[in-house]
Amino acid sequence: MSTTSVSPPQAGQRLREVWRPTKADRGRFIACVLLALVIAIVTGKDGSGDQPLQGIKESLHLERALFFVLGGIALWVLLVLGRVVGPLMRAPRMQLSAATNRALEPRWARPLLYLVLLGVAIWYPRTISTAGQQSLVNDVAIYALLGLGLNVVVGFAGLLDLGYIAFYAIGAYTTSYFTSKTAIPWHAPFIWNPFFIFPIALIAAALAGVILGGPTLRLRGDYLAIVTLGFGEIVQLLAKNAQGITNGARGSFGTPPLSIHLGPIKYKWGLSSLPYYYLLLGIIILVMIAFSALNRSRTGRALAAIREDEVAAEAMGVPTLRYKLMAFAIGASVSGFAGVIFATEQFFDPSSFSFQASILVLTVVIFGGMGSIFGVVLGAVVLQGLLYNLKDTVPANDRYIYFGAVIMLMMVFRPQGLLPSRRRSRELALSEVGIGHADGMGSPTDAP
Amino acid sequence: MSFFHNFWQLTVDGLSTGSLYAVIALGYTLVYGVLQLINFAHSEVFMFGGFAGLFAVRGVAPGGGTGWTSVGLIAFGLIIGALAGGLSAFVLERTAYAPLRRRGAPKLAYLISAIGASYFAFNLAGKEFGRQNVNAPGLYDNNKVLFHIFSAKIQIRTVLIFGVAIAMLVLLDRLVNATRLGKAIRAVAQDSDTASLMGINVNRVIVFTFIVGGLLAGAGGFLYAQVFSASYTMGFLPGIKAFTAAVLGGIGNVRGAMLGGIVLGVVEAYGGDLLGGNYVDVVAFLVLVLVLLFRPSGLLGERLGRAA
Amino acid sequence: MLLPLALAACGSSSKTTSPPASGGSSSAAASGGTVTIGFQGPLSGPNSPQLGINGVDGVKLAIQQANDAKKLPYTLKLDQSDDQGSADQGPTAARKLVDDKVIAVVGPMFSGATKASEPVFSQAGILSVSPSATNVALTTLGFKTFVRVIAPDNVQGKFAADYIAQKLKAKKVFSLDDNTDYGTGLSKYLEAELKAKGVSVTHDGIDPTKDYTSETTKIIGTNPDAVYYSGYYAQFGPLAKALKGAGYKGALLSGDGSNDDQFIKDAGGPANANGAYLTCACGDANIDPKAVAFVSAYKALNGANPGTYSGEAYDATNALIEVLKGLGDKPTASAVVDAYKKVDYTGLTKQIKFTSAGEVAGSAVYLYQVKDGKRVVLGLISDLLK
Repeated sequence: MSTTSVSPPQAGQRLREVWRPTKADRGRFIACVLLALVIAIVTGKDGSGDQPLQGIKESLHLERALFFVLGGIALWVLLVLGRVVGPLMRAPRMQLSAATNRALEPRWARPLLYLVLLGVAIWYPRTISTAGQQSLVNDVAIYALLGLGLNVVVGFAGLLDLGYIAFYAIGAYTTSYFTSKTAIPWHAPFIWNPFFIFPIALIAAALAGVILGGPTLRLRGDYLAIVTLGFGEIVQLLAKNAQGITNGARGSFGTPPLSIHLGPIKYKWGLSSLPYYYLLLGIIILVMIAFSALNRSRTGRALAAIREDEVAAEAMGVPTLRYKLMAFAIGASVSGFAGVIFATEQFFDPSSFSFQASILVLTVVIFGGMGSIFGVVLGAVVLQGLLYNLKDTVPANDRYIYFGAVIMLMMVFRPQGLLPSRRRSRELALSEVGIGHADGMGSPTDAP
Repeated sequence: MSFFHNFWQLTVDGLSTGSLYAVIALGYTLVYGVLQLINFAHSEVFMFGGFAGLFAVRGVAPGGGTGWTSVGLIAFGLIIGALAGGLSAFVLERTAYAPLRRRGAPKLAYLISAIGASYFAFNLAGKEFGRQNVNAPGLYDNNKVLFHIFSAKIQIRTVLIFGVAIAMLVLLDRLVNATRLGKAIRAVAQDSDTASLMGINVNRVIVFTFIVGGLLAGAGGFLYAQVFSASYTMGFLPGIKAFTAAVLGGIGNVRGAMLGGIVLGVVEAYGGDLLGGNYVDVVAFLVLVLVLLFRPSGLLGERLGRAA
Repeated sequence: MLLPLALAACGSSSKTTSPPASGGSSSAAASGGTVTIGFQGPLSGPNSPQLGINGVDGVKLAIQQANDAKKLPYTLKLDQSDDQGSADQGPTAARKLVDDKVIAVVGPMFSGATKASEPVFSQAGILSVSPSATNVALTTLGFKTFVRVIAPDNVQGKFAADYIAQKLKAKKVFSLDDNTDYGTGLSKYLEAELKAKGVSVTHDGIDPTKDYTSETTKIIGTNPDAVYYSGYYAQFGPLAKALKGAGYKGALLSGDGSNDDQFIKDAGGPANANGAYLTCACGDANIDPKAVAFVSAYKALNGANPGTYSGEAYDATNALIEVLKGLGDKPTASAVVDAYKKVDYTGLTKQIKFTSAGEVAGSAVYLYQVKDGKRVVLGLISDLLK
């Protein structure tokens, strides 16, 4: 804005000043070149234990290394150009009043957006391959549901739970117990339709959440994290070891598929994935509606208060332990729900309930935007979509190199996640200028 | 009862496994002390140290060695492992942590960024170093029993692990308590804002803390790779155990990490014998949960500043 | 407002999509003179992707040789699908192969992934021949298009136990498994047979790790005559190293999952590996004089020696190529299923011929031993027992 009024000689001097590489530019130059070399290595040949440096050597032979370094330098030039030209090009930003903003975004815009999104969610899966549909069910939709549940614990209440997948396991094994006499050695004396298991699994998982949370929620931040990690590991190990109860590592085979038998409506979920997808979509939408109501309710505000400053919340008369338990139980019950659907797809084994799976759910929540309901679902779509699409684009063994790099870059350039919630964005903005914490766990370098 | 028959041997086994956990746990605890965050990629630092030390030793002496040569080779491997660990911890800090610190990112963003870095690092190691176990050349006679304590056989590797672990603990303890850098680390751990007002370069201290933790983990990685073997996933299990050990002892507390590692190792050895190998981890985590319920900040309490 | 819409969507979709042309023996893709063979197995992730690589490399070699020798009137192509060896990725990986209209599938490799994937192949009517899934139950679960070229756990477990009891004359055996689907299955049948022979058995399971120090103390504490490990070489190696290191003198055995030259390296060299027995329902390509050509061709193509299950995957693919020869230039998936179940083909590792249940007929279990740092075949266990 100010550049419009400078006279020519001043502008020339300014340009020269701007062109001179700053210290930051020099740092960026090194970073760009190193990045280019890392990309050269990642996309290059494999090495082996006998010749550990062979892969790197072959990836960095002269022409290839030169090519990538030149690419890195080109990137740097672009960055510098961006720094120089950016301010000149940027149009003066209009400061709009709140009233104008409201006028620009008419009342029907939001519902319309939701309708369009819903339309895409319904229509899009019909256009893709059956493998894609299967992945939408097992990877995207189930992880979106798990993420929504964990979001209540991590995003709303600010409690770090590293063993969240245990409740998913409890939901799945509850289903096997009640719906089949052959799936696992232990079974109920009667057999129920899987639909009746939804409330049971919900209660079982919520109960497990309360049992775990009761004694441990008094612990602060990281201690809670490690206790939940331990709980998750214990549940998986018991599922794996108790062969007489859960069939151990061989898993549970033969849970019946879901079916509805209500008067004139008869429907059975079979082998194909789309019906499962639509069922999950329905549940996810219900959960999203319920949780956004929860977030705006008195409970939601209490959880936010706990997240931002537990001591202050307690002092203001918020029964923190009770609310934290509630968050734990709500999160767990959603996970139990996901477990039921997973189990009714006929087969599962304990390897699906590993620590890595807990970490993946947490990554979905943070990547999408902690505390944001739409963000979490978007996180599941983007991350799992990325993994699915990497399958055919890079060598299978290298898939997780790219996956890790994307997660890291995302956090470096957008630590608030894809779609941060409004409340969280405000907290982050405050913490950036040094007022308050970015989350209930205190921010690094800011010892209590 | 075979448990009583095995008791002393199991104790020795547990102590040696536990001291390895302790060496790795020191890195978690140091970083936690200054940053209050769990460095999830620390296990990959350990892995890189293991590979580097092992490849270096193999490069120098493909056939291994005996006597004083082997002592020299082990010292060489420890140094290279430590350097590689320190270097990779430095790179990790610069790429996965420093940019977030500049933005005042929330703590969970660091956690996820470290998880991403961990995925990236160990899969890259798998690509470059293969996905099979890599063994060190023989450096000493594995079967040689030096002496007995009660009914327990003490072998060379037991002494080696134990000796190196204790040496590292003492070095670190001195570093934290008796040097200027240590004083700065403690100051940042206690209150980083005040420390920076007192003229301490907080950023530099954090980088140094990462490097110190990396040096220890790298040397520990070589020790582990030399006694067992190296592979691209070698960091995962010891990492999670060491992290548990650090919390068990009181995270942020150097002596606590050492104690936590040893307690965890011994508990695992006893638990595996009494209940079966498949219950080792169940026992380990149960002990952790119980300890935290009764001593919510670990065995020795937290705070690098005070207790160390 | 959103709710009824979603439900309506559910209702309408269920009508249109529920029965997607089941049993479809789609006249497979002979488009442009190529036919695609699918492979499914672990190629990434935490569950031993090396085994998947061993398998797919065997398939690659068989396909390359068939194409080079122009055995078929069209070109064969390979379509790999990574299931990470896990149950929840299995169906997605299987559906990818079905989507790509493969003529038949070699795989899945792991039992868990197989259980999760077979319903998809059964529905699509595509043959799935596993080179390595040994879980006993797999052929009893009603999968219509599933066969395997490896003997199930009970066969190997029984022969191994007989050898331990009768030839090694062990009185006390320590049976250790790796807590996986494969390991627990094998140890279960081994222990049952040992007990039937009056041998006293101590059982333990331990998750894959590198540090077997205290487990070793426990094993030696029971003073066994023999230790049998049901699991893979990446763990059997370190275990052998730890046992030798602690002064164990008895017999050391393991199964097909450890029957790989890498075991000797993982054990820290011949000193620790020598004398170890390996049972396997397979002839081994690496040491069979008839298979020298296979090993050198494999190495030329893939840059590594064949590993565990490479030979089985190679044989399964070659038997498939044999079947395709008889089906003209437009083979269909359903014709392949029918013909493959009747195949009689002499492969590298065994004769491939199936019982009506889909098990490979007449599975012979061989005994191997490490001598002077090399694996050698001692012979068929049934012969050795005589």
